[in-house]
Amino acid sequence: MAQFSLNINQHNYKVDVNLDTPLLWVLRDMLGLKGTKFGCGKALCGACTVHLDGNAIRSCSFPVSAVKGKVVTIEGLSENGDHPLQQAWEEIDVPQCGYCQAGQIMSAAALLQRKPKPSEKDIDMAMSGNICRCGTYLRIKKAILAAAEKGGAK
Amino acid sequence: MSEVTKIKRRDFLKISGITGTGLILGFGLSARAGENVLTQFEPNAFLKIGADNSIVIFAKNPEIGQGVKTSLPMIIAEELEVDWNKIQVVQAGLDGRLGGQFAGGSTGIKNNWQALRTAGATGRSMLVTAAAVKWQISESECYAEQGKVKNKRNNKQFTYGELVDDASKLDVPESPGLKDPKDFKIIGTPKKGVDNHKIVTGTAEFGIDARKEGMLVAVILKCPVYGGKVTSFDDTETRKVEGVRHVVKIDARAPGQRVAGVAVVADNTWAAIKGRKALKVTWEHGEGVTESSAGINEQFNTYMSQKGSIDLRNDGDVDSAFNQSDKVLEATYEVPFLSHVPMEPMNYCADVKENECTVWGPTQVPGYVQRLAEVITGIARENITVNMTRVGGGFGRRLMGDYAADAVTISHELKLPVQVVWTREDDIQHDYFRPAGMYKLKAALDDKNKLVAWHLNASTTSRYLYRGSKDSPHTTEVFPDGFPAGFVSNFRMEYTPVKTLVPTGAWRAPGHNATAFIDQSFIDEMAHLAKKDPVDFRLEILGEEDKEMPYSDHGGPTYSTKRLKHVINVAAEKSNWYKKESGVYKGFAAHFMFGAYVAEVVTLALDSNDQPRIENVLAVVDCGIVVNKSGAESQIEGGIVDGLGAAMFGEVTIAEGMAQQDNFDTYKMIRMKDAPKIDIHIVDSQESPEGLGEMSLPMISAAYANAIFAATGKRIRKLPVKLSEVSS
Ligand code: FES
Ligand code: FES
Repeated sequence: MAQFSLNINQHNYKVDVNLDTPLLWVLRDMLGLKGTKFGCGKALCGACTVHLDGNAIRSCSFPVSAVKGKVVTIEGLSENGDHPLQQAWEEIDVPQCGYCQAGQIMSAAALLQRKPKPSEKDIDMAMSGNICRCGTYLRIKKAILAAAEKGGAK
Repeated sequence: MSEVTKIKRRDFLKISGITGTGLILGFGLSARAGENVLTQFEPNAFLKIGADNSIVIFAKNPEIGQGVKTSLPMIIAEELEVDWNKIQVVQAGLDGRLGGQFAGGSTGIKNNWQALRTAGATGRSMLVTAAAVKWQISESECYAEQGKVKNKRNNKQFTYGELVDDASKLDVPESPGLKDPKDFKIIGTPKKGVDNHKIVTGTAEFGIDARKEGMLVAVILKCPVYGGKVTSFDDTETRKVEGVRHVVKIDARAPGQRVAGVAVVADNTWAAIKGRKALKVTWEHGEGVTESSAGINEQFNTYMSQKGSIDLRNDGDVDSAFNQSDKVLEATYEVPFLSHVPMEPMNYCADVKENECTVWGPTQVPGYVQRLAEVITGIARENITVNMTRVGGGFGRRLMGDYAADAVTISHELKLPVQVVWTREDDIQHDYFRPAGMYKLKAALDDKNKLVAWHLNASTTSRYLYRGSKDSPHTTEVFPDGFPAGFVSNFRMEYTPVKTLVPTGAWRAPGHNATAFIDQSFIDEMAHLAKKDPVDFRLEILGEEDKEMPYSDHGGPTYSTKRLKHVINVAAEKSNWYKKESGVYKGFAAHFMFGAYVAEVVTLALDSNDQPRIENVLAVVDCGIVVNKSGAESQIEGGIVDGLGAAMFGEVTIAEGMAQQDNFDTYKMIRMKDAPKIDIHIVDSQESPEGLGEMSLPMISAAYANAIFAATGKRIRKLPVKLSEVSS
C-alpha cells in the first residue's frame, strides 16, 4: 500500500492503495464515484472511460500509479449535469439499460473537445471502443451530432 | 441501492405515516412534500397521493433496459389522470400486492395492462367520488383532469391533494370505469426514460453500485470445466494479498445453483480479483472435459440422418409429396452457441442475518431469488426482503439465479454483507448460452410452383433438457405452429435434443432467434426455386382469405394472417421492394412471435470493390397498442442492432468442456460503425398491447442473409457471417 494523490473532478484526493490498482477500482470502491462502470477489465468495451487531461482513457486498464494529470469522470463532466451531450442524451432518450452510457458520453465528450464538428465517420471511429449491448448506437450518434450542432465542445 | 432501500415497503408506509417529513424526504420527494401531510391517499400498492399534491407511482418490475420503469407507470398515470411531468416514479421491491414481478417473455406490458389501468382508475374514481360528496352533486357532474377534479356546473375545482383526506375514507371500488382509449393523453406518446438524468450524470444505481456498511466483495474461482468439482485448494499466496479477508470453498446449495468453487472475499473488488489470481485449486474435471463443439456437431449430424425422437407435427404425407415433385430442395442450417454478455457483469448482494435476510441486485426474477435465499438460508420467505436496482441488461441471462444464490451462500457462511462480482471472463465462461442447433429442411413445389411439402428435422442442445425440466425438451427450441405450418398440406416437424453439460438458457427471443433465421431463409430459397418474388411467395402461402391460425406457444392461442400480411405489405411498400435498382439488393423476412408481427427489409449496396455494405434496415411492427412511442422505437432499434450483431459476430465454441471465448476480444460484438440506419413503422392499432423487448430481433438475421444472397448469390446457412467475408 502507498499513499497516492489524485485530482479528480477538480478535487484533490489522497488514497492509500496498492499501486497496481486500476484507476477504475479506486474511483468505484474507494472514492464512491460509481458512475464509471466495469464492463470487461481489458480496455475492450469502454464502459469505464474517463478523461485524463482531456483524453479518453479506459480506467480499468490504467494503474492508479500511472495517473499523472487531471481526471474527469462522468460525475464531473459538468457542474449541473447539463453538458450539451448530457442534454442531448436525455432529449433523444438514448439510454436503454443505461449501463454503458457514462462511458459512451465520456468518449463522445473527448471527441468533441478534439473535433467540435465531427463527421459521422469521425464519430464511428471515436466511438468504436464503446460497446452497447442494448444497441443504442443510432441514438448515440444522433445525440453527438445534436450536441455538436449546439456547440458541444464546452 | 435503489430508492426503496433497507426498509420493507410495508414498514415504510407505517413509519412515513407517523413521522411524515423526515422519512419522506429521505426517499427523495420535494422539500415541500411533508409539510402538511396529514393523510396519504393510497388506494392500492401502486400509487399514493399526498395532501401536498405529490404523486408517487411505483414501478413494479425489474428495469433491464426494456423501459418498464417508464412505460408501466405511464399506464397508471394515464388512468389516474395526472400530469406526467408532476409525478415521481419509485422502483418497488418485491411485494406480493403488486402481482407477478419479473422481466421475461416480453410480457411486462401485456400482463399488467389491465391491472395497472384499474389501479390508476381506482384512484381517479375515488377522488371524483370524494369531490362529488363534497359538492353534494352527482359524480357524473364531475370529471378529473390533470390532477384535479372539476365541477361541470360552476367550474370549481379541487386538486387531488385537497381530496386525499376524504378519498381515503371511501371504500375501494371493485371495477372503476376505465378511460375510452381515444381519450388517452399519455399512452401512445413518446416519454423519456424516467432515470435518464441519473444515467447521464452517473448517479443511477445499478446492482454493481450497491454498497452497505461493512460489505465485502467476493470473486469466485469456478471450475473452468462444466460440471467439475474442487478437490483441494492452496490459498497461501491469496491470503498475502492486501485486503483479502476470507477464502471459502462453496458448494451448490439450491437447485439451479451451479457453483463449485472457491470464493475470495476482500475489502474491495480489485483485492478480490488479485487474490483469486493467486489462488491454486485442484479440480476434478469429471466428464465435462469431453464436451466440445465438434462432438456436439457430430451428434447433430447423426440426428439429421435419423428420425427425430419427438414428432411435433405431421400433416399429410411429406414423403410421397417429395416423391411426386421434381422441384425439391434440401438444405442444412446451423446456429452457434451465443453468450448473453449484458454490459453489467453478473453481481449480487446479500446480507444474511440470524433470522432475516436482505438481498439486492440485478435480476429479472426477484421472486425466484427470494425462493433461492429461502432454500439456502432456511429463513422464512416473509423475512427475506428483495430490493431491486436498475439492471444493466438482461437478455435472458438474469432469469437464472445462480450468481444471486452464490451471494446468499457466501453471506450466510460469513455472516457478513457480501457483494459477489463476476468478471467478464466469468460471465462468458459461466453463461447459459443460446442453444446451438442444426436444422435440416426439405421442401417441394407442385407444377404450379406452389409450396406443397415442408419438412424440418431439428436438433439443438435443449435448454429444457439441460436444466432437467419436466417440460418437453423441444419447448422454445422449435415451434410446430409457426409459419408456414398450417398452410402446407404436407408438413412434418421432428426434433431430437442433444444432452450436454454445456449450460444453455433463454437468450432474447428464445427459440425464435434461430427458427426465424432458418424458416425465413428457407422460404427465400423456395421462392427462388419457384422463380417467384420472395414477398409474393409469402403472401401466396398466407392466402387471400384472412384467418386466425392456431398457435400453441407463447403469444397464442392464435395469430392473425391479416396482421401478418399487413406488416409484409407495408414493408414491401415502404422499402420500394418491387422497384429494382441496379447495385441495390434487398432481403426480406417476416415473423410472428409473442403476440407481435414484424417484417424487416435489409438493403445492401456494393461499394467500388464489390464489397457489400448495409444501406439501411426497415422494420414494420404491429404490437397492438403502443404505450411509450420512444421506448417502443428504442426496443425495435435495439433488437435489430443486437440481432444483426449476433448474425455477424456472435459465436461461442467449446473445447475440453470450456468456452473458448472469454472477453470481447474473442467474443465479438457489433459496434457503432456496423450499426446501420433503421427506419421504423409502427402499425397504428387498437389491438391489445403486446410487449416489444424481443420481437424485432429474430428475423433480422434472415433478412440480412437473404440480402446477401440477393447481392452475391451466396446462400448463408450458417451463422455468424461477417459482411467482409462475402463478396459478389
Ligand atoms: S471495463 Fe474498461 S474498457 Fe471495458
Ligand atoms: S444502454 Fe444497455 S448497454 Fe448500452
